[in-house]
Amino acid sequence: MSSIKKFEKPLGMRDTFPRIYEKMERARQIGRQVFRSRGFDFIETPTLEYYDTVGKASAISDSFLFKLVDSQGNTLVLRPDMTTPITRVATSKLLKEKIPLRLAYSANVFRAQQMEGGRPAEFGQMGIEIIGDKTVFADAEVIITAVQLMKELGIESFKLTIGHAGVLHDILDDYTDHDYQREILRNLLVERNYVGFEEAVHEFDLPATKANALLEFINEATNLSSIEDMEKYVRKNDGIEYMKQLSKLIDAYDLSQYVSFDFTLSSHMSYYTGMLFEVFASGSGFPLGNGGRYDGLLHLFGSDVGATGFSIRIDRLLEVLPKEEVEEETVCILFDDEDFIKALDLASTLREQGARVTVQSKKGLMNKEAFTKLFSRVVDLSQEEAQ
Amino acid sequence: MSSELTIAMPKGRIFEEAYQMLIEAGFKLPEEVEMSRKLMIEIPEENIRFILAKPMDVPVYVEHGVADIGIAGKDVLMEQQRNVHELLDLKISKCHIASAGLPNTQMDEIAPRIATKYPNIAMNYYKGIGEQVEIIELNGSIELAPMIGLADRIVDIVSTGRTLRENGLVEYEHIADVSSRLIANPVSYRMKNERIQEIVSRLKKIVK
Repeated sequence: MSSIKKFEKPLGMRDTFPRIYEKMERARQIGRQVFRSRGFDFIETPTLEYYDTVGKASAISDSFLFKLVDSQGNTLVLRPDMTTPITRVATSKLLKEKIPLRLAYSANVFRAQQMEGGRPAEFGQMGIEIIGDKTVFADAEVIITAVQLMKELGIESFKLTIGHAGVLHDILDDYTDHDYQREILRNLLVERNYVGFEEAVHEFDLPATKANALLEFINEATNLSSIEDMEKYVRKNDGIEYMKQLSKLIDAYDLSQYVSFDFTLSSHMSYYTGMLFEVFASGSGFPLGNGGRYDGLLHLFGSDVGATGFSIRIDRLLEVLPKEEVEEETVCILFDDEDFIKALDLASTLREQGARVTVQSKKGLMNKEAFTKLFSRVVDLSQEEAQ
Repeated sequence: MSSELTIAMPKGRIFEEAYQMLIEAGFKLPEEVEMSRKLMIEIPEENIRFILAKPMDVPVYVEHGVADIGIAGKDVLMEQQRNVHELLDLKISKCHIASAGLPNTQMDEIAPRIATKYPNIAMNYYKGIGEQVEIIELNGSIELAPMIGLADRIVDIVSTGRTLRENGLVEYEHIADVSSRLIANPVSYRMKNERIQEIVSRLKKIVK
């Protein structure tokens, strides 16, 4: 074990310096505006939660949870996501006051530390949840909000890929002989291992009709031209009908250019029961965020009203946000001891005009040139007077 | 013109085989590439850029998205469990992963030791068959380990079995088949879907 050097932070933790902070803050402000204007109310939940409630219900697997022990010996987790704590609050309290609920958040979440770079243990997330509305319109609202957020953020090249957990489950169930086969295939799709999927289908020794149907399905679903193409693979049509309706709503609102459908899309989060989607943008190697209908999570908290939502990772957003130079007037007023009040007066006047004003005693400066270089304008009170 | 596609390729023999496959699949690539010390090869005619990496590093470039797609051995994918899409089995560089050791030997009953370049694959395999083992990670010449008493078994790539025979070792268990796979970054797979799908379908036709 090497000793810790003075400059070190715990593995996976990051500092945020002013320039990045402002960039993140602008993104958060845009998010806040978009969400609030669509009627979502912001809430905050504690950083620490019980492992037995939020920790276990969360979709984040156990080995990625950041665990601690409290003074009573209970295991706690640093919240690994926001959806689970919000579900806890909603089912235990808020749903009694209003239904459906439209909630929004912007908060940091935590994951177990990992050695490799690019995997922070703490990062910001913002998103929305609609709880208590099972209609397709709630899912459409989530998707429309996600698209609007991406547009308002100025991200030009992005895509939402939408799938349906129920449809996929039914197809895999119909064309396999055992539950374990269905789960193997589902897990291979979570990993997006198409080679493994085909190999597994051959290995299962299924009747030829079933095996061929699965292979055809995987081929067609990854090159999907229209949702109708999926109908031949399902017996119960309700999931497909739901997706057709959703697609129609998205078309009607003219968002189809941002959206594609993929019925092989699958998530390790088993509480996704219906529509689910991921958000991608050019510039980051990792998905920006994801969302979907998670009625299953509400079941875990003893409610059956249904819920849907999405979230975006702020740290990944930074990689894809367009570079924008913010025009901001920054003024530095340098003063000698006796001019302090004068400096403050001038500063207030300039601030009223919208400038950011720093008042700095000349005595407190070691290198005047280096310090003043960073401002768009410098006012030296002693020189002003000389003029 | 569509945006540039970056392809991470493993250096050496697999590169040549895979490169020939791309030519066969109808991509306009120069017949001979100068394989000097260059790490990046631009092909403006196809709007493709190759980056040449160590086989073990290809999934790293692809997962982080600095390469859109890549060609990686199944052994590397199994060992690293990275978040990449596995699109196509190219069926080149075929071999398998096996355990091997000195002939007619049993594993130590108290603390069986396994020497390997693939600690995760070895650990998962023995876990799967209900055996708790101790792993010793080596970087090469794995065959040495049983010969000089460092380990009871090794877990390594076997293609012809010649290296094992020449060092007096025998294969015990067949763990997994290995071949080269076409992999893709999850974001590139969505954002450059048409180009990637086209490469997949063109390569699919010539996979033997």
